[in-house]
Amino acid sequence: MTKRKLNFDSATSLLYPLIFGIVILMMWQCGVLHSIFRTDEYILPYPTRIFRIIIENFDKILENVNSSVFVIIIGLAAGSVLGYIAAIGATVSPKFGKGGLTVISAFNAIPIVAMAPVIMNWTKDVSSDAEVRSTVAKIIVVTLMCMASMSINAHRGLNELKPFSLDLMKSYAADNKTVFLKLRFPNSIPYIFTALKVSVPGSVITALVSEYFAEYRAGVGRQIRENILIAQYSTAWAYIVVACLIGIILFALLLAAEGIFLKRRKS
Amino acid sequence: MSANTSTEIMLKDIGMVYKTNDNRDVTALTGVSIDIQKGEFVSLVGPSGCGKTTLLRIIADLLTPTSGEISIAGETPRQARLKRRYGIVFQSAVLYEWRTVKKNIMMPLEIMHVPVKEREERAMKMLELVGLSEFANHYPNQLSGGMQQRVGIARALAVQPEILLMDEPFSALDEFTREKLHADLLKIWRKTNKTIVFVTHNIQESVFLSDKICVLSPHPGRLSAVVDIDLPRPRTMEMKNTVEFTNLVAKVRNSFEGV
Repeated sequence: MTKRKLNFDSATSLLYPLIFGIVILMMWQCGVLHSIFRTDEYILPYPTRIFRIIIENFDKILENVNSSVFVIIIGLAAGSVLGYIAAIGATVSPKFGKGGLTVISAFNAIPIVAMAPVIMNWTKDVSSDAEVRSTVAKIIVVTLMCMASMSINAHRGLNELKPFSLDLMKSYAADNKTVFLKLRFPNSIPYIFTALKVSVPGSVITALVSEYFAEYRAGVGRQIRENILIAQYSTAWAYIVVACLIGIILFALLLAAEGIFLKRRKS
Repeated sequence: MSANTSTEIMLKDIGMVYKTNDNRDVTALTGVSIDIQKGEFVSLVGPSGCGKTTLLRIIADLLTPTSGEISIAGETPRQARLKRRYGIVFQSAVLYEWRTVKKNIMMPLEIMHVPVKEREERAMKMLELVGLSEFANHYPNQLSGGMQQRVGIARALAVQPEILLMDEPFSALDEFTREKLHADLLKIWRKTNKTIVFVTHNIQESVFLSDKICVLSPHPGRLSAVVDIDLPRPRTMEMKNTVEFTNLVAKVRNSFEGV
């Protein structure tokens, strides 16, 4: 009974946005959007044209996608791991930890457009290869962004325990390592996913925007900008579509992973 | 009491003074002396603020008293805790929602490095004892509150403790479930022969279950009476309607001071 209802819910939650998207695409293709927004097919190319450009430039687009996705994944992984380690540190030593977490979360308040140029400047001497320099800089920007959301959420996950659960551990004479492995870590898993739901889309945006400021011209975000600058709107739109796909696919992967890990937690 | 009984828990002149944030002293307990025999079922009864939970936590070595002496079969509470002589059941079941019922019961055994096969056997034996064998592979959120608390009892017993400490374990349950668990608990107690210290604010519950009731009064928390419950065992629901039962409830109620 509940299973059928669940399937129905998940089906409609996928179906309705899909129908909405198809309707928008049809209005776009038939020129309805153009008359609503009073624009022409040059500024807003038809979906079929955008699709054709993606096919024609597939190799070049893939190259830029690889560059962006590499920055996103490495930055996301590094930031999440460092954020989690910071959360553990703050749990082990609450005295310094609280202040440390505040500093880390302050990084989250700095706009990417302010942080990216500064980091680019700082990493000038990392390598003689411009591509490496730029990649390192972009990864650092993404890392800082992801660190903040992970450290705050993981700290909550490691410390917001059920009443008496620490007493229970103490009554079994469990040491701190055991308390971490058997209680704090499993308790923090849903919070890790909460953090990732913020930082996965965040890392995509951060990577794409920080590409604007990079010395080396690479990445989906940089291509959007470059093509708009030279008025190649169709190509720019092709990269916009690809950028959306990256975000959607990564978020879908995250939801799938959450479904597997937290299958048993929600009733 | 026969000659082979021995003192399991000895509390002598226990005092507990807390410091509040504005640095004032608050006396939670003063001059509490209680002897609990091996295999005895003793209740600590009193209104909120009488320090009954504090006293239980002192026995469990979750708190250190500011004065007085405790001995758990000749050892300090800390030694007893490190040797896992206690099983504790809290107000809530404190089950881990990411583990199945069986794995929740196996958790303390993992910490104790009991071999895997024995862990499984002991967990299943405990589940049988509390009558939940068929729910071994369920997750806690699939169980009712009463069943969850029974899993909590099974987990406490799985470490094979000499002493079972229970802190208002049934206070969150409805009357029907509570009466069912009273009967279950007495059955388990008879089978396992544990020393049980049971904290409650429910006088009827304590009279029904206990050999001995320690009545605590608040402000400051102190022992105002010890009432022996000489109702025959096994206890049955019908006993609750007898004059003896009612008299004992009245006797306990009249022992409170300053409420």
